[in-house]
Amino acid sequence: MILLTCPNCGTRNVSEFRYGGEITKRPNPNTATQAEWANYLYVRKNVLGVMPEWWCHQSGCGQWLIAERHTKTHEVLKTYVWEARPQE
Amino acid sequence: MAIQAAVGRLPETPSQVINREKIVDFVFDGKTYTAYEGDTIASALVAAGVMTFSRSFKYHRRRGLLCAAGACPNCLVQVGDEANVRSCTTPVQAGMKVEAQNAMPSLDVDVMSATQLVDSFLPAGFYYKAFIRPQALWPTYERFLRQAAGLGKIDPDSEPGYFDKIYKHVDVAVIGGGPAGLRAALAAAKSGARVILMDDQSSPGGHLRYRMDEIDGLPAYEYVAKMAAELVGFSNVEILTNTTAVGRYDRNWVGAVTGNRLIKLRTKALIVATGAYEIPLLFENNDLPGIMLGSAVQRMIHLWGVVPGARAVVVSANRRGLQAALDLIAAGVHIEALAEMREEPDADLIRKLSAEHVMIFKRTTIKRAWGIGKVQGVSLESLHSGQIHEFPCDLLLVSTGYTPANQLLFQAGGKLRWNEQIHEFTLDMLPSDVFAAGEAAATHLLEDIEREGELAGLQAAQFAGFGGKIEKVTFLAAKVEERRAERIPWTQIHIAEDEAKKDFVCICEDVTRKEIKQSIQEGFDSVELLKRYSTVSMGPCQGKMCNINAIHVCAHYNQKTVAETGNTTSRPPVTPVTMGALGGRLMEPVRVSPMHDWHVKHGAVMMNAGLWKRPDHYGDPSAEVRAVRERVGLIDVTPLGKFHLRGPGVPGLLERVYTNRWQKLDVGRVRYGLMVTEEGVVLDDGVTARLDDDFYYMTATSSGASGIFENMEWNLQSGWSYDVHLLNVTDLRAAMNLAGPRSRDVLAKIIQGVDLSNAAFPYMSVRQATIAGIPVLLLRIGFTGELSYEIHTPSGYGLHIWEALLKAGEEFGITPFGVEAQRILRLEKGHIIVSQDTDGLTNPFEAGMEWAVKLDKQDFTGKASLLMANQKGVTKKLVGFEMPDGTIPEEANQIVRPGNGPIGLEIIGRITSVRRSPTLKKVIGLCWLPTEMSEPGQEFTIRVRGQMKTGRVVPLPFYDPDGLKLNS
Repeated sequence: MILLTCPNCGTRNVSEFRYGGEITKRPNPNTATQAEWANYLYVRKNVLGVMPEWWCHQSGCGQWLIAERHTKTHEVLKTYVWEARPQE
Repeated sequence: MAIQAAVGRLPETPSQVINREKIVDFVFDGKTYTAYEGDTIASALVAAGVMTFSRSFKYHRRRGLLCAAGACPNCLVQVGDEANVRSCTTPVQAGMKVEAQNAMPSLDVDVMSATQLVDSFLPAGFYYKAFIRPQALWPTYERFLRQAAGLGKIDPDSEPGYFDKIYKHVDVAVIGGGPAGLRAALAAAKSGARVILMDDQSSPGGHLRYRMDEIDGLPAYEYVAKMAAELVGFSNVEILTNTTAVGRYDRNWVGAVTGNRLIKLRTKALIVATGAYEIPLLFENNDLPGIMLGSAVQRMIHLWGVVPGARAVVVSANRRGLQAALDLIAAGVHIEALAEMREEPDADLIRKLSAEHVMIFKRTTIKRAWGIGKVQGVSLESLHSGQIHEFPCDLLLVSTGYTPANQLLFQAGGKLRWNEQIHEFTLDMLPSDVFAAGEAAATHLLEDIEREGELAGLQAAQFAGFGGKIEKVTFLAAKVEERRAERIPWTQIHIAEDEAKKDFVCICEDVTRKEIKQSIQEGFDSVELLKRYSTVSMGPCQGKMCNINAIHVCAHYNQKTVAETGNTTSRPPVTPVTMGALGGRLMEPVRVSPMHDWHVKHGAVMMNAGLWKRPDHYGDPSAEVRAVRERVGLIDVTPLGKFHLRGPGVPGLLERVYTNRWQKLDVGRVRYGLMVTEEGVVLDDGVTARLDDDFYYMTATSSGASGIFENMEWNLQSGWSYDVHLLNVTDLRAAMNLAGPRSRDVLAKIIQGVDLSNAAFPYMSVRQATIAGIPVLLLRIGFTGELSYEIHTPSGYGLHIWEALLKAGEEFGITPFGVEAQRILRLEKGHIIVSQDTDGLTNPFEAGMEWAVKLDKQDFTGKASLLMANQKGVTKKLVGFEMPDGTIPEEANQIVRPGNGPIGLEIIGRITSVRRSPTLKKVIGLCWLPTEMSEPGQEFTIRVRGQMKTGRVVPLPFYDPDGLKLNS
């Protein structure tokens, strides 16, 4: 079982967290084409490597956080809240 | 009368673990046997002369004690109601009832053993080939296969045992308490790290526990006992014996089993020092009782003082085999002959054996064993000349090779690589928090094992943040050359080419060398395919005994090298685990409302709603419905999700999560809200009330509560940056619904601070007031379709308010009602229940809730999906129906019409809710129909318990269509 570090509570078993999926960019719903919206809903990058993803510390403080996890080795490089995300 | 030891015991020695003062009786297959305290079931049976322990899986051949280490399947027995108990590692207890497994009807007379006479009809892949056609015989096949498949018996009526879980957290965990593990644990302990050491035997020491040769002037068992004693002295070390680590998962999460306890261990650093398994040799009849591995014989002699035979033949290919031969002589066993496969065996031991006048054949192997029911003799074959020598015997000791117990390392991500130099799989590329030491890492010389253990201990402690810098250790490179002597190269082991002989590669599943050859010829030539097709290595031993042999045989018939052939994947559990240990104690919390005890005391039949316990009814749901329609009823709705939303940004958040409009909700008003997912699928519904300028109160369905809360938090925490503070008060507030035409009269008697008149407190509004001195929130809403008030109060006052309402309602005939009555009431009113009447694809338009969707809003969750769905139009609809003939279909019954289905029918819809309405005196429900069939008056066919029944679409709601009751 992998470990995740909650910014509030520290390092905990992943069973305390709810998975929120890959971080996606939401298109404007008023202008998005069907293809863009379908892409946003259903198509994932599913990279072999480090992927930023949402996790919620469900059984803890309720914080939503971003974990950078390697999808093969499960190594979690870092976790942070939305405001602390690297700027694009 | 108890059967006394037939073979007898050796004189007492310090290495023995039995207490001869304490005698215990137990039963095996109906006969009573005598054992000493400290005996395992197996050691006591061997001492009593028992040779057959079980019948084999497929051919029902007799099987006797082989490994005595808990690895092989031969000694699995039934103990009471527990199947597949390893008798060689399970201590005898007084009164134990032990039975042999897979014997039909008994160990001595087994009718199924006739299968081996027709083994040409039981080829590899037999089950895949034989039980396919004709389909009509499948029930017969099933009866046969159920009889033949599986080991042991399960008694459905047996008392469940007490199983539980143990959680542990340490800096360094050492798996295996042999010399490598002990050295590792000592080194880590000295650094100050918290250390746990697990060993699957009754005390640490590994193979040194049953070895007599001298180390540093001490017999091996004393040498290792001293090491273990030193470890016991550390207060930062915990030693767990009889504990088997069965899996290593991500980030060093280790699963282990000890008796009825599952240990879940998290360790910063893991040291795997699990040693090696001694493995069998392939030759004809290599499974006869009386054939034992060298280490098994040594365990029997030195741990339990039991000699498993009188006249032995020894087949050896390493130093330990020769040592075992010397142990046999010391125990008074006559050695008929010793076959040594190596050209130049260890001179010192050969000298000692010669001095005992043992007949030694060098460069010689075993060709076959023979005997009826047990080994009675062997044919030895010279690997030089092919010359055959035959000897009678009642014990055949085989010690020809070991294989590292490296499953945990493999699970940790280590890569197995065949090492041609030492003829073993070695591992590399371990993760940085996993360390290997000793025989598990294919290191065999004791001196190297101890140094490697110590190094692993230091490295692991350092990884976990303890101890200083470690001096570079260079011995590991040098050891390979020395290791070579420990194992005979496979190429020097003779593979018989005779066709019809029984030489078993896999003793769990009775797979012979011939069957592996046949599987390869049929095209299953990769080692992973071979495993699945022939089932080799898929039995209880999980490849511990057979995997290496199978790989070699596979390589041999493919004419490839072992390196090219590769290995199969090792997955948890390493050793079979009881379902009880995995299940353990149920850790699910139970949620109850503050009125729970009242419900139970007043005869409520409780039901589970998620984790909540809710009253289903109090005896008569129909009477409860009538009470609400005619007088007044009270229901506990505490499980509702309840949230406080505060701040200037609340309307924005509500606009975002609900599909309808929220910018203009006046203080004191309540509105129904519908939520969908981004895919536009109906997710949840509830009401939100505006209590003050910046203070809103939201409810959600009981099952949706936590998910809805997290979704709202996600909106707030992922950059939408609303100025909202959200609080989940689901557990802090009790809630109840007072419903019925007399509900206002009941409230009026006990409420202060609010004008209840219809004009002052209309439908869909909210007020704060006090009942019996307690602050309450009143929401005038109506799931039931009657005038009703939902009353929310701090949960500590829930029961107080509940009882006050019942007392005030006495004169009006107030009746508590449960979930069943509420379901009937809401159905009469045509209200849907999300996820009962809707599914994972339902959009609001199909569910008849377009009135709750405002597509002209700037944005909301699911907007684009609903825009598209709206454009596309609906092909199916959720509608109300009644049954003209009064039949009550079941929920999920299918709506059909003639078509191309399996029985000439096409499924076009289904029933989602149905009840007999006590109010309307007819059967009503909700169902899904194609749009073109959904107009009121249209009829359709439902398949009800195999019969075709007619339903008719009717407009919703069934009851009070103009909402006069709600607004009264």
